[in-house]
Amino acid sequence: MHPNLFLNISVRYWQDFQDTLAKAINANIYIFDANVTPFSHFSLPVEICQDVNGGKEPRDNKCMDFYKLACASLGEKDTLVCPYGIKLCAYRLGSHTQKIGYLIIAPAKHTNLSDREEEIAFVTKAQNVYRTVNEVFNAILERNLLGLRRLELNSIYEISRLMTSIIELDKVLELITNSLIIIYQADLCFIGLREGDKIRIAHGKGVRGSNLLIGKEWPLVHPVIEQVSSQIEPTILHIGELKGLPGFNDVEIISISQVIIYPLWTALGLVGLLGIATPASLDDIGYRNLQIYTNFAAVALANATLIRRLEKEATTDFLTGFLNKRALQDVLAVELQRAARYGYQLSVIFLDIDGFKAYNDTYGHLAGDVVLQKVAELIKNSIRVTDIACRYGGEEFLLILPGTKGEDAARVADRIRRSVENYPFPHRQITVSLGVTSAKKNDSVDMLLARADQACYQAKELGKNRIYLDPS
Amino acid sequence: MVSDAIGNRIKRYETLLKEMWAASAKYLGAFSVSLLMERVVWEVSLEYKEIELLQYDQDGVSCARIAARLEENPELPVEDMFMKFIARYVEILAKLLGYERAEEIRKRLRILGEEFNEDPFAKGGMKSGEDKNRH
Repeated sequence: MHPNLFLNISVRYWQDFQDTLAKAINANIYIFDANVTPFSHFSLPVEICQDVNGGKEPRDNKCMDFYKLACASLGEKDTLVCPYGIKLCAYRLGSHTQKIGYLIIAPAKHTNLSDREEEIAFVTKAQNVYRTVNEVFNAILERNLLGLRRLELNSIYEISRLMTSIIELDKVLELITNSLIIIYQADLCFIGLREGDKIRIAHGKGVRGSNLLIGKEWPLVHPVIEQVSSQIEPTILHIGELKGLPGFNDVEIISISQVIIYPLWTALGLVGLLGIATPASLDDIGYRNLQIYTNFAAVALANATLIRRLEKEATTDFLTGFLNKRALQDVLAVELQRAARYGYQLSVIFLDIDGFKAYNDTYGHLAGDVVLQKVAELIKNSIRVTDIACRYGGEEFLLILPGTKGEDAARVADRIRRSVENYPFPHRQITVSLGVTSAKKNDSVDMLLARADQACYQAKELGKNRIYLDPS
Repeated sequence: MVSDAIGNRIKRYETLLKEMWAASAKYLGAFSVSLLMERVVWEVSLEYKEIELLQYDQDGVSCARIAARLEENPELPVEDMFMKFIARYVEILAKLLGYERAEEIRKRLRILGEEFNEDPFAKGGMKSGEDKNRH
């Protein structure tokens, strides 16, 4: 149950209700919260309290010490005498498990209730007031809690609908962490995705340093991760137990004492882990709602991860790891538009391995694949991270060099040519021919590719193992 | 019809809330901002029922219904209500956006909110459950 629900009761409205009750029974009423901090004012002015405290609530140190001690040791109820001789009735509000606060009822006028009958009448009156106040507080708490549950369920309903329609992994991660922080007031929320034999943290939000968890890798054989991922149910871990995991030393954990970690299981197996630290412990219904939420999250993450993998595989050449011909069309179109919009140069290099068919036929396809992989590696080592490499066809590669003019692209092409020529391939020397061209105004993808292909053809025609810069 | 005096009283809060909405939606997306609004409206409604009259959707925020209620009941503590709302909103926002980015938004909003007597953008905002009306 949320510890702050009680404090969300409007004191202004409560004070009106309390004062009316006090007038009806002609007794003073005031309330302390669970930490023995004054919650409401004195309902009626009591002469001695006014003299000592000079206001509407106990401020005198002797009074406060008395209340702190008395409330701390209070069972369900007791009759006490304050340091200034006022006899009063004290009651604990709420239950043993959910302490709401303390109710004090004192005679409106200064009396020590020496008359037995007077005392019995006062205690009976106080008991009735206590029952009423306790009922009202419990009803308010129940109402607040129901409101919270309604909010939780509404949110889970909306999110579950949304998550089944979102396939982008980044958006799914963002949506899950955002909503958990909002619904559960989480101080920390992180999601780790399984990558082979480790969990890689894909998203982290909350207290300062939470984002530093992103990118950290936790091996599945780590005792904590093994413990969590070998179960179906969530594991509650003390923050100290997580300190051994990379990244946790940077998280500002002052407000965090424990973290609930959910293994995210689907029919495909373990998708990852979801960790959440809430400021208050959840009750059974809260845990169940969170479990429902994580079940949806697991399915959404599994779908998004699968789609991302398929998308990557659909655009990547398996042998070299470069973009494939299908992806090239889109990437080159984007780069052409960008170059035109920002007015920078764009050059492309068309590369063909000389005599590759003969090499393949003589030494076999496996040997040919080794050559393709090695040439790809040499290309990768010769270009910038901002340049884009594609496998265009069998032994043909295309390189896109944004922000590069023709002469500079020719220098890159020659660097590649030399590195291939000098590499000790098995069986025999391998060489490449390269055609270089630059984008012109209003160039289409096909026009640019045709010129690059033609330039490569020229390089071949001129004797192979050379570069040819398109002069047009 | 809402009078000019009431309209002006509400307008500055509406401007601030609209700015808050736009600044948060830029980073969080409209769905998360709606969820955040729903959460904070619920929390504040435990004390100030009238906050439920705040209208918000994908297009932004409107205080028209609160202004109409204020016309009926000028004693309504709208200042306290909005201060509590904004403080709580910004507190959760810091967890969602990271403290640095939330601080940027807070600075921008503080300029808009300079005329307010209290600073709802004090670092960390008011803590949940704090009640400035107490005593």
